[in-house]
Amino acid sequence: MGRRALGIALWVAVVAVILVAYAFAPRLVSDFHSRDLAEAGIFFIAIVGLNLLTGYTGQISLGHGALMAVGGYTTAALMVHEHWRDVWTIPLAGLTAGVVGFLIGLPALRLSGLYLAMATFAFAVAMPSLLRKFSGLTGGGQGLRMLEDAPLQITGLSGTVTIFGHSMTQNHFLYYLAWGIGLVGFLIAWLIVRSRVGRTFRAVRDSEVAATSAGINLAWTKTFAFAISGVYAGVAGGLLATQNQIVNPLTFTFLLSIVLLVGTVVGGLGSLPGMVVGAFFVEYLPDVSTHVSTAPGVPDFVYGAAIIVVMILLPTGVGGLLKRVARPLTTRLYLRP
Amino acid sequence: MKRALYLLVGALGALVLATAATGAASETGVTSSQVLIGGTTPLSGNASAYQSVAKGAAAYFRWVNAHGGVNKRKIKYVYKDDGYDPSKTADKTRELVQQDKVFAIFNSLGTEQNLATRAYLNALKIPQLFVASGATTFGKDYKQYPWTMGYQPNYRAEGTIYGRYVAKTNPKARIGVLYQNDDYGKDLLAGLRNGLGKKAKLIKSKQSYDVTDDQVQSQVARLKAAKVNTVMLFATPKFAIQTFVYAQKLGWKPRVYVNAVSSAANIMGLATAGTSKKQTEGSISLVFLKDPTDPKWKQDPGTRLYRSIMKKYKGGNPNDVYAVYGMSVAHTFVAALKKAGKNPTRASIMRAATSLNVKNDPFLLPGMTVHTSKTDHFPLDQAKLQRYHNGHWVSFGGLFRVR
Repeated sequence: MGRRALGIALWVAVVAVILVAYAFAPRLVSDFHSRDLAEAGIFFIAIVGLNLLTGYTGQISLGHGALMAVGGYTTAALMVHEHWRDVWTIPLAGLTAGVVGFLIGLPALRLSGLYLAMATFAFAVAMPSLLRKFSGLTGGGQGLRMLEDAPLQITGLSGTVTIFGHSMTQNHFLYYLAWGIGLVGFLIAWLIVRSRVGRTFRAVRDSEVAATSAGINLAWTKTFAFAISGVYAGVAGGLLATQNQIVNPLTFTFLLSIVLLVGTVVGGLGSLPGMVVGAFFVEYLPDVSTHVSTAPGVPDFVYGAAIIVVMILLPTGVGGLLKRVARPLTTRLYLRP
Repeated sequence: MKRALYLLVGALGALVLATAATGAASETGVTSSQVLIGGTTPLSGNASAYQSVAKGAAAYFRWVNAHGGVNKRKIKYVYKDDGYDPSKTADKTRELVQQDKVFAIFNSLGTEQNLATRAYLNALKIPQLFVASGATTFGKDYKQYPWTMGYQPNYRAEGTIYGRYVAKTNPKARIGVLYQNDDYGKDLLAGLRNGLGKKAKLIKSKQSYDVTDDQVQSQVARLKAAKVNTVMLFATPKFAIQTFVYAQKLGWKPRVYVNAVSSAANIMGLATAGTSKKQTEGSISLVFLKDPTDPKWKQDPGTRLYRSIMKKYKGGNPNDVYAVYGMSVAHTFVAALKKAGKNPTRASIMRAATSLNVKNDPFLLPGMTVHTSKTDHFPLDQAKLQRYHNGHWVSFGGLFRVR
């Protein structure tokens, strides 16, 4: 067998494993647990988007929790005020957050590094207050509760969902929805990264001066990265609202933005497959840390300590580890005659 | 229209449960040796001080279990961390219902948090008992949400009492209000207006803060600028302490009414330590529990029982009045469970919870009764006023109903 054929076979195998894992993962856990898996999928989408911006374009954002809020509230408001069915609101949730992402990307043209982080952080801090302020649309401090105000718009209210004659529980449906969108989002991100656009992203990250002198439009590249990343965050927010059937300002505090950045860094900046691990890390770490001890302050301590330990052991995140492990194997495939 | 949708949710929900439960012989969460209940509380994050409530309750249940349980069944109480985020409350409550299959949701903490799960639990006809929030809606709206019930004296009533007291004792007061910008703060404010009645004009300034804020310095300065001499402090402990501190920094000493949420002796102790005895002297609040740090209760059998349970069953810091609250609410749950019959069902415990008349709760002020009926879903509706004097609360006046 030629090396090229071996390479293709390897790819087919990887894709097959991913699809099988996608299809059968919920069968390995209890019905309710597939809901947790779905939430990990939601984090996955958000941090893949954040990685495009921070990992590939080098623009730090501490405001992605607020972009998720935009998506979540778009979904909730469309369901409650306009009686849209939950799943159909998700594209619009992505689009709205994409536009907002574009707008907060504008300061990125003048700010860089820590200053950009501060500006986006301010956006995240202001978001809960903004949500309380426009209470006619957002329900104020109470948020919006779809089970009360839009029950007929919820898919799988009765506990089961039927798609193409195939019936499944609501929890399984949420899982397949989140990870289905997650896989498509992953594929798109992968294509972007390997395309001309992805190369301009990396050029901007590595040296803005060099990128400009190579003819790259810096302004366009940065705002585009913010917008596309915003779409991912918005879709994730819309899915979160669909799953919880409630949105509230307390869900979208600045902590969520930090959690997303933690997921991205643990997964590995500039690595897409690592994001799967990053997503599971931020989904399950809170449960693990309250499991250690529930004494006051201990869960928060364990949470922080776990992040520090991971960063010491894996300074380039899980993605960096994957690359280190996989490189000797893959280079052998490509290089040796 | 909304009601019709409700019925639909209820019908569909019942269907799910019917398929989930195996046979009608026993109730979900109840076996011959155990009753499983669950709730949510903030174990992590900003509001994690409130977890003492759940820990006090858990210690009491362990004590009850060590003494034979209820009808030979042990009470297993699981509490999950929601980090004070209502979306997480919704998620964790679903987990308790779908995964752990609890008999009832017990004393989940927070106003928005309980509102987030109320429709879900009522649709599935799962008791949402003795929620840890004084929001009036949990007692008032029982017709729409028959499976939900509050516990402590409600915020609106508390505000009304302060209003009446000011109107009576200081009709020329200039009142300033600092309230949390949510249902809890607004409930207290509405009660205050109600209590002041025609004197509502005495309110000269209203300042609010958001739960996510970190300080209230500018609000305090604005109250002072409005030449207020009486401050209604409708705020959680952190902000209550800050208010005393900032007021002192401004050289300002108004008469402060501290809402019961923040008036625990340990909180007032911190406020005093951060300022001076003079600054907190004369503050007024409402009380319904026996404060374990109050020397008055040192020899009281109820407080001694409380301290021994806290020590033996690892309830945490015994000087934390939130733990007393947890024990009291656990005591009430046990009373309801006993009343719910030999083989309790979700329906029978709701019947029991709506016909309580408990006079022997050792953790409440002497003379208090936990009383409910089909049309009265406010278990605790009595309290006393107390004044902070020389580093201690001193109650005055008799017990009165706070409806």
